Amino acid sequence: MVSNDELMHKLAAGFVVETEQDMSEDYHRLLIQTLTITADTELISIFSILDALKYVPTLNRRLTELAIIQDELGHAHIAYRLLKHLGVDVDALIYERDASEFRNPYLMDLKLQNYAELLTLHALLDRAGYVLLGDIFHHTSYGPWKRALTKVDAEEGFHVRNGESGLRLLVKTDEGRAAVQAAVDWMFVMGLDFFGMADHLKKRSLQLDLHLKGETNDQMRQRWMKSTVRFLDSIQIRTPVHWDPEQDAYLYDFPYPCQWDEAERRWRFDQPIEWSQVLSRFKRHGPYRREYVQTLRQGRETYQKLLREGVA
Amino acid sequence: MLREEDVKTALQSVNDPEIPVSVWDLGLVTNFGIEGHRVSVQLTFTALGCSCMDWILDDVKAAVLRVPEVSAVEVEVVWDPPWTTDRMTAKARQQLAAWGIQS
Repeated sequence: MVSNDELMHKLAAGFVVETEQDMSEDYHRLLIQTLTITADTELISIFSILDALKYVPTLNRRLTELAIIQDELGHAHIAYRLLKHLGVDVDALIYERDASEFRNPYLMDLKLQNYAELLTLHALLDRAGYVLLGDIFHHTSYGPWKRALTKVDAEEGFHVRNGESGLRLLVKTDEGRAAVQAAVDWMFVMGLDFFGMADHLKKRSLQLDLHLKGETNDQMRQRWMKSTVRFLDSIQIRTPVHWDPEQDAYLYDFPYPCQWDEAERRWRFDQPIEWSQVLSRFKRHGPYRREYVQTLRQGRETYQKLLREGVA
Repeated sequence: MLREEDVKTALQSVNDPEIPVSVWDLGLVTNFGIEGHRVSVQLTFTALGCSCMDWILDDVKAAVLRVPEVSAVEVEVVWDPPWTTDRMTAKARQQLAAWGIQS
């Protein structure tokens, strides 16, 4: 391995990292951290979609959701495979790690309650994934990941389009429009949370210095808002933010971050909180995490049992 | 006067939802005809279990209806000839290759 300084010097000249020998210790550690968050997010995301299949109104739209689940598993597989190459015991990661140690965002640990929420998940949160992975795709200095993300990028675009196309149909009725607005009311802020702590509270990012990513949290959050609000405006759905031409940015119309009421499934705009409190909600994880991880393990146990019985 | 070229341009504008390549270049459109202001399209899918059939049908209808002289569109799903990768244009092959998909 090399030192951070040595590596940064080479990266500045356009060096592409391919092997562990090319990395510094920090680079190796941060890459594993980012890949774990990505892999866990892709994997755990399938459970709320799977659970929400019962709300999908037509057989063909269910097939679309199944295709999305298949994509997400493929994306998880890519990230876990890269982790394996970096010396991580992926089997232990997926099947032995405590459920509390998975690194997926809080939203993935919830259950959706109707079709509007599922479509909003695709239109807003898959878009957040698209923004985050798009940044890595364009800026990462790690060659194997960059190459693997070409297909991931195309597929995440499909998930976003699925959400958009479904929502455009849903808002045509008053009832559908109300359900979409209700979904956006809580899921939009979940989308903001996806990008993590505000820049001014963060130390200088080693991830940026080591070219593991290219944009800061707030830059990505702004990019997500721009694209999300443009779409929601086009279907006349309200968002709690507005464009400020002077600051050349989207500004929040409520104190962000604020308290999340888990039982009521709504944001308490009257209760502003600190980012440290947001991070502790992330750490506590959501109400269905254990169930989802348990389902994953049960699947493997059942399959292995079947295999054993088949052989015997 | 409704021209074949206008209908073709409309069909070329419809992308496959999964991978952004035109359904025309993918070879999904097997035939189309014009009768006055009515258009009929024969369309196939890459697989019987295609996960976006309704979505593609909706998009094709909407795109052809956007052509000013068109008053009605009928899309018929056909499975003969069967779709194979041979039906794709060179443009589709190039686009898919750029997404990391070779045929």
